[in-house]
Amino acid sequence: MSLAASIALRAVLALALMLANGVVLIYMLRKVLAHLHLRLGPMYRGWHGVLQTTNDIVKLLTKEDFVPSAADKWLFTIAPLMVFVPSLMAYLALPFGPSLRFANLDGGLLYTFAVMSLVPLGVMMAGWASNSKWSLIGGMRAAAQQISYEVPLLLSTMGVVLMAGSLNLSEIVRSQQGFWLGVIPRWYILPQLGGFAIFLVAGLAELNQTPFDMSEADSELIAGFSNEYSGMRFGFLFLAEFSNSFVVSALAVTLFFGGWLIPGLEQNAVALSLAPVVFVIKTYIGIFVFMWIRGTMPRIRIDQMLSLGWKGLIPLSLGWLMITALLLKAVGA
Amino acid sequence: MWGTGFFHGMAMTMRNMLRGPITLRYPEERVALPERARGMLQHKYDETGAPKCTACMICVNTCPDFILTIDWHKTDDGGKHIDRYLYEVGGCMFCGLCVEACPFDAIEMGKEYELASTDVRSLYRTLLCDVPAAGPKRKAAEGGEPGA
Repeated sequence: MSLAASIALRAVLALALMLANGVVLIYMLRKVLAHLHLRLGPMYRGWHGVLQTTNDIVKLLTKEDFVPSAADKWLFTIAPLMVFVPSLMAYLALPFGPSLRFANLDGGLLYTFAVMSLVPLGVMMAGWASNSKWSLIGGMRAAAQQISYEVPLLLSTMGVVLMAGSLNLSEIVRSQQGFWLGVIPRWYILPQLGGFAIFLVAGLAELNQTPFDMSEADSELIAGFSNEYSGMRFGFLFLAEFSNSFVVSALAVTLFFGGWLIPGLEQNAVALSLAPVVFVIKTYIGIFVFMWIRGTMPRIRIDQMLSLGWKGLIPLSLGWLMITALLLKAVGA
Repeated sequence: MWGTGFFHGMAMTMRNMLRGPITLRYPEERVALPERARGMLQHKYDETGAPKCTACMICVNTCPDFILTIDWHKTDDGGKHIDRYLYEVGGCMFCGLCVEACPFDAIEMGKEYELASTDVRSLYRTLLCDVPAAGPKRKAAEGGEPGA
């Protein structure tokens, strides 16, 4: 197969995965939130409402593509793509199995964070171009929030990188094979518990998830930066959000929960052939935890969130990185 | 301790999730009404199928919302004849005071609670129309013992 065909096929596969994810996750979000609140959720379209999301997508596709007359038309048009494309690109480095991934990047972790950090740019563009005060506030909040939480998010993963000795996500998973003391899986969640806690909080902020959903803040800003969008443009913004939560959860699984590995079955051929399934199941458990937090927590204030990020998480993650480095040096020596 | 509230909240929502939903899909599923649930006012009838109402007007005077009206006239034999027993269900607060006040056990709160309507006239319900009121004179006319 030629290089171009291979690249095109990978891009189409990533897009298909992202869209399928979006469909499943929207349904899952509605059902999980409903059951956390003692409700039923969608029940009418298909068995227990499983076709509700497809109906919603048909609705979004057939809606009028509306651009407000006062909006900056160019920015307004490309902003959803500026959110959607980085979030699609973030799938590139994820290791779904020992050999199944879109590309084997030596700097996979850095690459994923780099493309994820383009998302707030698109969000801010969407908020600015809409020429509406709610959108602008939402976009500015998103920029402030995501830029300030990217630092602790990246720093919190550095402990894992020090322990694994690699930025390649597949190598990080491979270094988690085996057991500590013969029974505890060699996953990095145990030695890096502090790093994982910082990763979880910063990841929630990075995803604009409750309790850090200031940029959407339904009760204050209606829908924040996506306020003036309709039809499939809104669909892109929405899909990107769900796709980002998949990426962050997949990163958490890769870095802290052994990726595609099942403890004790690392060399088993059947287990290895099931690797992508294991990986996706672990990722969905992570997403369920995000939704669980979303169904439990109220939103915090913007100033509380920023002071938590700058005064709390950044010093904490730096301290954690230093402790990890010192301990590794001490154990290694 | 600081931070325990988070885990307490998470445990609470998880407990809710394991409890299962409490909502009913209303038009398809209905909750079983409690025995003393109060719906729309309705009349009671005796074994011959005639209303037990004597048109004594106590329910009309008791009603705090002034929504009951009885139009009646005296018959030639001295009994009462109910022309119309009007019930404005749109104003009813289902307090049941009329039922408590009725000395003849002639009315009760029924179980009908789906009273929404797109036609305001349907909120004026005529419960009885052109029937003789219960009393000694009607008993006599039916051939029963007078003075019951």
